[in-house]
Amino acid sequence: MNKELGINQLKRRDFLKAGLVFGAGASGLAAGYAAVPDAFARAVYAAKKEGLANDNILVMIQLAGGNDGLRTLVPLADPALHDLRPKLAGPMVSQALPLNNQYGLNHNLGGIKGLWDKGKVAIVQGVGYPNPTFSHFESIRIWETGDPTRRQVDGWLGRTLATSYDSNGHPLTGCACGATDAPGALRDLQATLTVIQNQKTFGFTGGTEVEAAVGALYKGTPGIYGALFDTAIATATETMATLRTSASSYQPMADYSDKVKLVYSSKNQLAAALQLAAELIVTGTGVKLLHVTLGGFDTHYTELNRHDDLMGYMDSAVSAFYQDLAAHNMASKVLIATWSEFGRRPKENASGGTDHGAAAPLLLIGDPVQGGLYGAEPSLTTLDSTGNMKYAVDFRSVYQEILSGHLGADAGKILGANFDQVPFLKAPVAV
Amino acid sequence: MGAVSLASAEDQIATPPISRSRGITRRQALAAAVATGVGVGVVRLLGGSMQQIGAPHRATTTDWISPLGGESARVMQLLRRTTFGYTQPQLEAALSDGYSKTVDRLLETKPAEPPALAAATTPGGRFAINLAQQWWIDHMLATPTPFAERMTLFLHGHFTSDYRKVADDSFIYWQNLTWRRMALTNLRSILISVTTDPAMLRYLDLATSTGQSPNENYSRELMELFTMGAGNFTEVDVRESAKALAGWQLPQPDTYATVVVDKANNVTRRLPVYSSQKAGVFNARRAYKGSVTYLGKTGQLDTQGVIDQILAQPATAALIAGKVAQHFVTARPATTYVNGLADTFRRSKYDMKTLMRAVLTSPEFTADQSYRSLVKSPTEFMVHTARALGVSPMSNISKLIAGAGSGMGQSLFDPPDVNGWPNNESWISSNTVVERVNFVTGALAQTKGKLPPSSDVIHKQLDGVLSPQTAGLLNQAADERGRWFIALASPEFQLK
Repeated sequence: MNKELGINQLKRRDFLKAGLVFGAGASGLAAGYAAVPDAFARAVYAAKKEGLANDNILVMIQLAGGNDGLRTLVPLADPALHDLRPKLAGPMVSQALPLNNQYGLNHNLGGIKGLWDKGKVAIVQGVGYPNPTFSHFESIRIWETGDPTRRQVDGWLGRTLATSYDSNGHPLTGCACGATDAPGALRDLQATLTVIQNQKTFGFTGGTEVEAAVGALYKGTPGIYGALFDTAIATATETMATLRTSASSYQPMADYSDKVKLVYSSKNQLAAALQLAAELIVTGTGVKLLHVTLGGFDTHYTELNRHDDLMGYMDSAVSAFYQDLAAHNMASKVLIATWSEFGRRPKENASGGTDHGAAAPLLLIGDPVQGGLYGAEPSLTTLDSTGNMKYAVDFRSVYQEILSGHLGADAGKILGANFDQVPFLKAPVAV
Repeated sequence: MGAVSLASAEDQIATPPISRSRGITRRQALAAAVATGVGVGVVRLLGGSMQQIGAPHRATTTDWISPLGGESARVMQLLRRTTFGYTQPQLEAALSDGYSKTVDRLLETKPAEPPALAAATTPGGRFAINLAQQWWIDHMLATPTPFAERMTLFLHGHFTSDYRKVADDSFIYWQNLTWRRMALTNLRSILISVTTDPAMLRYLDLATSTGQSPNENYSRELMELFTMGAGNFTEVDVRESAKALAGWQLPQPDTYATVVVDKANNVTRRLPVYSSQKAGVFNARRAYKGSVTYLGKTGQLDTQGVIDQILAQPATAALIAGKVAQHFVTARPATTYVNGLADTFRRSKYDMKTLMRAVLTSPEFTADQSYRSLVKSPTEFMVHTARALGVSPMSNISKLIAGAGSGMGQSLFDPPDVNGWPNNESWISSNTVVERVNFVTGALAQTKGKLPPSSDVIHKQLDGVLSPQTAGLLNQAADERGRWFIALASPEFQLK
């Protein structure tokens, strides 16, 4: 595709106009955070300022539905756990992989335990925010925008793209792998990003002839969706060209498998998504901020097997991803971080599951990490009025360390304020 | 004027007028008219389109030129938004009836029931979900009452359930039958049907909730997503209605069948068999015995009592009206418009037919600003394509449609989460647009024989309102197949 037909030519005026159109009604919609389309703009690896001229990469893994923190990092010696969870606590404590005499990892996190032993896993305990909402969608939006007051519309990673990297036609700078639509965290009116569900099928049937025709068809499209359509096609064709090159020069050095049997199958192919992320990273496509999702964590019923399965699936995919990056000598550049809209209620329900909760631990994995436990585990005996654990660390403190320490970005500008950093990085970037 | 006028006045920015010719030329339109042939409906149609195309199209903004001043264009927009596309005879009938009689017919014709799905009696509902998907798509293609299918799809996104968690595809099939039958009744009975629907009982865990240990999942989503919306209830309300709603269970199977579920290891399981569709049953022994305080009312509340409290909240009508407006009228409905619809809805005692009539006959529905202001969902886009091509319902197209949806973000019975599907701009990403184009290629490949004249799609589906790019590429296309590809892959055809 001719570069001149691409998003490089999208005029600033078009962005502004589209921005106003889409921004205007955002607060009036049920799904306000969905109001910002993925496509307007573009971003890039060429950093806007000196401090950003590092080649660090961030991979966010969303555990959608509300991951049970107590079954991820298990308190081994708290009798209150057994009172709250008479059915669920026994096996989760007895099988856990001890990290010390107080905490253990879920027994299916063997690969991540191996990385912990090498000092490559940091766990921040008790992460949450004030006055938690128990709505999936509100809480997802809060985590995505980094704003518990729910005024912000753009995603925190989208704002990072927009403020920190040059908009010069590199749509892979921000990329959602294994998804069909853009995650809210990556959305920003001034940031273009790419969405690739499945690399193997990402291309036009009919090849370059169709590609050229469609490129010509989606140009200067009128109407409120015009810029979105045009940018989506331009982004897709540029990405196809990049993938043609990267696919031929990438050899996976780990065993990625999505052939996992889940009690309640997740619809995401986490391993394939992370393998695509690895390909984009090791072939030097300029990716900076990557986002993948594993769903199925809303374990209101028969949580025991379902959550164990999900832990095992995540463990195998993340372990393969790390191994692949290490074999390609890229592990030192990549920080992997999990997030989930909330943890789960400490007290189990009658369905053998748990309802929506609040504070929960986050995992940070990779060579840049200073391994260990951070934050503080909230008490299981002094719960809040909803029966949930009180948070010890604001989630934006974790974002702060990621943004300033790993990416070298202006966290205060992106988050609207500076937060206490959780010092889980070995050698934070000097800003 | 669509784009700018959707922003509030102070947000509008001055855009230098761009003089650009819109649509195709009068000469092309005339040529197409000749090629189309002449029937009563067609003459009316072209009359409408010709006024549109014949006028000098010098736009001062980068917007589509709305043809909605003409009756035929209004009728076509009505059909695009309330059906899954139309065949030539259906369009002629609607054009001959006119707008208001067509609205009557859409609302008053009893929904045609789909033929029974043979697999539905499989023990445990253990059959491939694509059988149910294809069954529904076949019905979308063949039904004489497509509005019922559009409403069923709308409700499938609103009161959503996911076959993966439901884990019994017969329940999913029953839910589809129930949603179709209840679509144009009233919200009070709809909410009872939804609460006691077996698939929903599984999906949001009400089937395992007890008065002693209530599960909050259904209680919360009933208020947050199905009726009132976030911010209009408290966490106490969630806990209290979880108690009040507890006690529902899945229906008793007629019998059980022993089925080999793992051949290699010779594992068998006893699976339930239902000879006919059933609703959930209430088991008083599992219910909560005490009194609750829910949305300001204290006392012993049963499920009907919970629903009546929800219907007493003004937020409920506003949420449903807003969602309907966003789905059928415009991506950003004005608050005053939604409030007006909500008032009508409440005054009618939550009659869905009254609400839908108010929507379809409102000036907003046919306002110039509404023209191409909605993005077709993947299912709509694909079924529209098949109908425009005149593909026979029983061909392989339903299989293609069922499989192609996931790449575009919509796989039937498999919503992304409990909020159902997003809409409009969320349907557009670098992944989904490629998949849409590839579907057109795939659908065209299935039409081995002669295609209908491509001028049909340009005038009867796209109102003759084309971007310069689309018009230019149509002119350059080597043959009819090429013109069909351009027309169906165009941005114009993605909109409604």
